[in-house]
Amino acid sequence: MRLDVRYTTRFEYAAPVVESQNELRACPASDHRQQLVHYDVTTTPSSRVSWYVDYWGTRVDAFGVRGPHQLLEVVASATVETSAVDRPETSLPRAAVEDVGFRDRYHELLERSAHVDWGPAVTAAAHRHAAAAGDDVLEVVMAVHEGAADLAYAPGETYVGVSVEEVLAAGGGVCQDFAHLAVAMYRCLGIPARYVSGYFFTRDDATGADVEVHGHGGVEAEVEVETHAWVEVAVPVEEHGHRRERWLALDPTNRQPVGERHVTIGRGRDYDDVAPLRGAFSGPAEHELSVSVRMRRLAREPLGGVPGSGTSPQHQQQAQQQQ
Amino acid sequence: MTALFDDYDPGGPRFFDEVFGPTGEVRPHYRELVARLRSFTPQDLDRREVIRDRIFRSQGITFTVYGDASGPDSADEGVERTFPMDLLPRIIPVDEWATVEQGVAQRVTALNRFLDDLYVGEQAAVNDGVVPRWLLHTADGFRREAFGIPVPHAARCLVSGVDLVRDVDGTYRVLEDNLRNPSGISYVLENRAAMTRVLPVAFAQQRVRPVDHYGPSLLRALREVAPPAAGEHPTAVVLTPGQFNSAYFEHAFLARQMGIELVEGRDLVVDEHVVYMRTTRGLQRVDVIYRRIDDDFLDPVVFRPDSALGVPGLLSAARVGNVTIANAVGNGVADDKAVYAFVPDLIRYYLGEDPVLPNVDTYLLWEREQREAVLARLHELVVKPVAASGGYGMLIGPHASDQEIAIFRDRIEADPRGYIAQEVVSLSRHPTLVGEGFEGRHVDLRPFAIAGETVEVIPGGLTRVALRKGSLVVNSSQGGGSKDTWVLDGQPTGA
Repeated sequence: MRLDVRYTTRFEYAAPVVESQNELRACPASDHRQQLVHYDVTTTPSSRVSWYVDYWGTRVDAFGVRGPHQLLEVVASATVETSAVDRPETSLPRAAVEDVGFRDRYHELLERSAHVDWGPAVTAAAHRHAAAAGDDVLEVVMAVHEGAADLAYAPGETYVGVSVEEVLAAGGGVCQDFAHLAVAMYRCLGIPARYVSGYFFTRDDATGADVEVHGHGGVEAEVEVETHAWVEVAVPVEEHGHRRERWLALDPTNRQPVGERHVTIGRGRDYDDVAPLRGAFSGPAEHELSVSVRMRRLAREPLGGVPGSGTSPQHQQQAQQQQ
Repeated sequence: MTALFDDYDPGGPRFFDEVFGPTGEVRPHYRELVARLRSFTPQDLDRREVIRDRIFRSQGITFTVYGDASGPDSADEGVERTFPMDLLPRIIPVDEWATVEQGVAQRVTALNRFLDDLYVGEQAAVNDGVVPRWLLHTADGFRREAFGIPVPHAARCLVSGVDLVRDVDGTYRVLEDNLRNPSGISYVLENRAAMTRVLPVAFAQQRVRPVDHYGPSLLRALREVAPPAAGEHPTAVVLTPGQFNSAYFEHAFLARQMGIELVEGRDLVVDEHVVYMRTTRGLQRVDVIYRRIDDDFLDPVVFRPDSALGVPGLLSAARVGNVTIANAVGNGVADDKAVYAFVPDLIRYYLGEDPVLPNVDTYLLWEREQREAVLARLHELVVKPVAASGGYGMLIGPHASDQEIAIFRDRIEADPRGYIAQEVVSLSRHPTLVGEGFEGRHVDLRPFAIAGETVEVIPGGLTRVALRKGSLVVNSSQGGGSKDTWVLDGQPTGA
């Protein structure tokens, strides 16, 4: 599925501020499941944007505005080609995750982190789900995933600082909470899990219809969505006589596997490793923040030169630079 | 033998005495000094103490002591006190110094290779299993934010203050590497300046290697690590947390020695990934920052967002190669005391050489057999938290109560990665003026190494003295004093 994403962050300050410095994590990754076709970041006031790939493999765009400004708008525009990936049908028994080499390799994704700090209730819930499953790691993973059915999506009721124990006790939350809770349950079972941030292309709320492409290179209307979060779990498998890991991507909020509609930005231990925008500025702290994510579906292989949808050599090179 | 030393107890076979040999004879490199002191009366000593105190008071040299030995948790109420220099200098003969110099330079070279390989290289030592990956990931000073930030010549430890101790047979051993913001060099320079006035004749009689080129050497190294884009005359500054920091005196001192600006975070600003200093003539580009601020406070965009000490955008500027931060971000991973245990292996791995200076024998407690062996003899060992420095939070088994040992046993069992155990090093002793006469007090040695294109070790270093009788803790934060440290050029002539 070819998708256009426009991610806009807008700060309106109560009074002019100066010396704003920021780092943005909004660029779709290029990996086994998706390919970045085009990406650019523009800011108002304009700035020199410099980018790098961080420890976790996420592209970070860094920029600053030194002079006085009362409005800062950042627009990240991307075109990305996504696909769904087959998931493994079986995996190794649970003993495989106890392997010393396996644990050393994924040590960072087995430990507690700031937002993934489980207590007795989360541990008990995870083991309850696991006990109901078979001995296969994949079955355990799916049992935990399906266990999220107990939770209710409750927009606007939580904040990033909420703990996984509080989420479990409250019985619901938003996508970040679901993802943190799922990551915590996997880790306390000894299964490496990472937090994934991204975009999720939903159906058109107005019509209820899936947004279909019509005509050659046709472009549908944009859909307003929100940034999303899900999880990836390392599942030990045996393929062609070799032990390896397959990353299984699951969306606990929507209780579905991650597919074509999911656009991955980055991965980390928890939200803090992939927070979309971090920054500092000098001036009065009061400001209004608005964030908008607009997505639209494009034709996969347009015949004509539709802006933003081609795979020109230039775009391909840009995509390659980011790998 | 002078009357001043008549009652002196060199400690017999229990300790290595720096001045007196096993049969009570004066070691050759101390003969001239001891002969000189022979002519001193107690009144002569008193007068020299008065001169010394006046010099240090007029320089305003103080050191803030945080809380007590219970730990850095009580760190918020510091009291200022002087860090007293003992009248009797420590002397290191030239052949002994050659070993120390070579060993420190070797260690710093290997650590620079390791850190550069970790943060911008292929992590060969990790991939080849020399040091476990998980160990680095769980080190307090490991900084994922430092990945990809280049440092010219891989001089990540631009200044190191490697702590050495001497065991009972006089062997120098490395206790800590101090690769983040080692302090104390200002005392080395001030002690020397004072000593030339307190004991002018004794000093003039010996060929003592100078230390006063430290400032120029540091400035040269800072300019050598400037980004290539900085051109031929890079601008370096000293970045201090401010006057409330315990080492502020040293920050100001070093800036003065180098003739460069002493700045706080608010004096710097980043524009389009370039760092500038605010001056009365407008903005001036800065190419190298000798920072004396901890990693977590350097840049609120990537580290603690509440830091008011740092410079927003600084890491981004360093990442694109517009400024060099010295010491580099993330060096603390190698200051972790469990990672320290792997430094001899890292020397062999990266340099293909055997370590010149051995570590203190160290036990890693996440390995069950080592842990059980350690727990069975805690009363004989020293236990240290891996992330602490400054002598905080240690257990010294032979001096500990049963209750203290029980507390550490619980701590180790709850968090075996969080502690190391070491054999007790009895630490050499040096005659130190206490009241009316000289008594043996434990000393260590912190030589300072400067790494730019090459590594230079400043002759001598800071000798710290545990002023409390019997104490093995020499840190200035724990009631320590210091000695001027003389490296003699050439062989002693005998007296």
